[in-house]
Amino acid sequence: MSPVRIALNASLLLFIFVIQETLVSRIHLPVTGFSFYLAVLISMVLLENRTGAVILGFVGGLILDLSPSSDAPFGIWALILTAIAYLIAVNAESIDGIVSRPVGLGLFVGLGAVFSLITYLVINALLGQPTGSLGRATLVIGGNFFWTLIFAPFFMPVLLVIRETTIGSRERI
Amino acid sequence: MARGGGNRSRLLLVILLVTSLFLITLDLRGVTATKSSRSATQGFLAPIQKSVSNIFSPIGRFFGDVKNFPSQKRAIENLQSENARLKTQVLVNKDIQGQLKELRGVLDLAGRGGYRVVSARVVGHDSASSFSQTITIDAGSADHISVDKTVISEHGLVGVVKSVDAHSAIVLMMSDPSFKVGVRIARNQSVGVLSGTGSSGFTLQLLDPAGDIRNGDVLFTNGSDNNRPFVPGVPVGYVTSVDHSSATLTQTASVKSYSDLGNVGVVSVIISAPTTAPKSMINPTPVPTVTVYVTPTPSPSLSAGAISPTASPKASKQATP
Repeated sequence: MSPVRIALNASLLLFIFVIQETLVSRIHLPVTGFSFYLAVLISMVLLENRTGAVILGFVGGLILDLSPSSDAPFGIWALILTAIAYLIAVNAESIDGIVSRPVGLGLFVGLGAVFSLITYLVINALLGQPTGSLGRATLVIGGNFFWTLIFAPFFMPVLLVIRETTIGSRERI
Repeated sequence: MARGGGNRSRLLLVILLVTSLFLITLDLRGVTATKSSRSATQGFLAPIQKSVSNIFSPIGRFFGDVKNFPSQKRAIENLQSENARLKTQVLVNKDIQGQLKELRGVLDLAGRGGYRVVSARVVGHDSASSFSQTITIDAGSADHISVDKTVISEHGLVGVVKSVDAHSAIVLMMSDPSFKVGVRIARNQSVGVLSGTGSSGFTLQLLDPAGDIRNGDVLFTNGSDNNRPFVPGVPVGYVTSVDHSSATLTQTASVKSYSDLGNVGVVSVIISAPTTAPKSMINPTPVPTVTVYVTPTPSPSLSAGAISPTASPKASKQATP
């Protein structure tokens, strides 16, 4: 991934982060917990190769760590999303044409978000941070999976177009 | 889709994971750079949140309104009938109002109307990056708001200010699992600790093992030293069920808050409590004792100083504490 594309992707993620924190967080969905940012980030990771996915995961995690209402130590999302991004990139290689299957794509992105949130909870618990009740955590994670499953096929084409316009000829080969 | 891999990606993975761990270590060791980066983000997001809140407020409430439509309809019907009943009651109460006005000054319901508050609108809820239950309000240090100030709604306690920016602040809601507040039961003044559970319910634990909790008991904040983070006398909630199990040393109960934390739109931050406010909710007033002064009327049949029936019109009463 070229430095220009890293900067472009980081700008796009920053934009999505602002949308998440200002607009999406205001919408009271029937089942709580939808993270538009996580869904977009994992979808972007899905389109990259291993190296690109790891860089994107790290940058995306750092942006998420900037969230002002977060109690967790700074860097925790960078750690989680770097690892999850690598796992997604490795596993996505074995599924041909995942991007062209809306249900499969939604499931993959949704599961990625679920694993990220579960890992976040586990690490937070290990660090002695408050994690809340199991019921609430299950509701948030379940809600996140549901809404990601619904919305992922809608924004994925947009991400594909953005990727096609920003990718360099060297990376295209 | 180009797929790369091999040693390069693994090496990069290790480097970035180590970098992340390094950042976490720095944060846990209290390096201020990480804290200030979040504060800067808050400063950046606050004006955008405010603008978005103005534009998209109806959309934000849409799903909640649809979900609550049947209950809202029932609530409106109930309110209409209650309104009619209250209108009749108001007529009866007009006579009592004069007496109440005087009593209010004597009893001094602690804090009620005596706090200096700054009102603010809620411009953000929770966050994608954490499970903590917070709201963002559009008032900050420029409005004299600082960390550890009590936040209330029209119905009662909402939470406490967690972090402050110039024009915004993040409020930790009382439903957050890490939230704890000292409370008093209004009926018997027993003291306990109310904890958030992460959901709509709360847990009350009495400090006195022999304390008494009953369903419907009303809870008020007990107050903290220098009124930070909590001022005394703010309504918190009421007891919905009492745990009678003998497994615990102290009594516990489930509590429902007065504030509808899921739909808080406007809040007030108490920036200072009245300096003369007592710690207790109601200042006990001493029972007056009646002293009778009598001006004796000279009478040949009675000895001097004795009370005569004719003296009664001149008798005056004075209440002394």
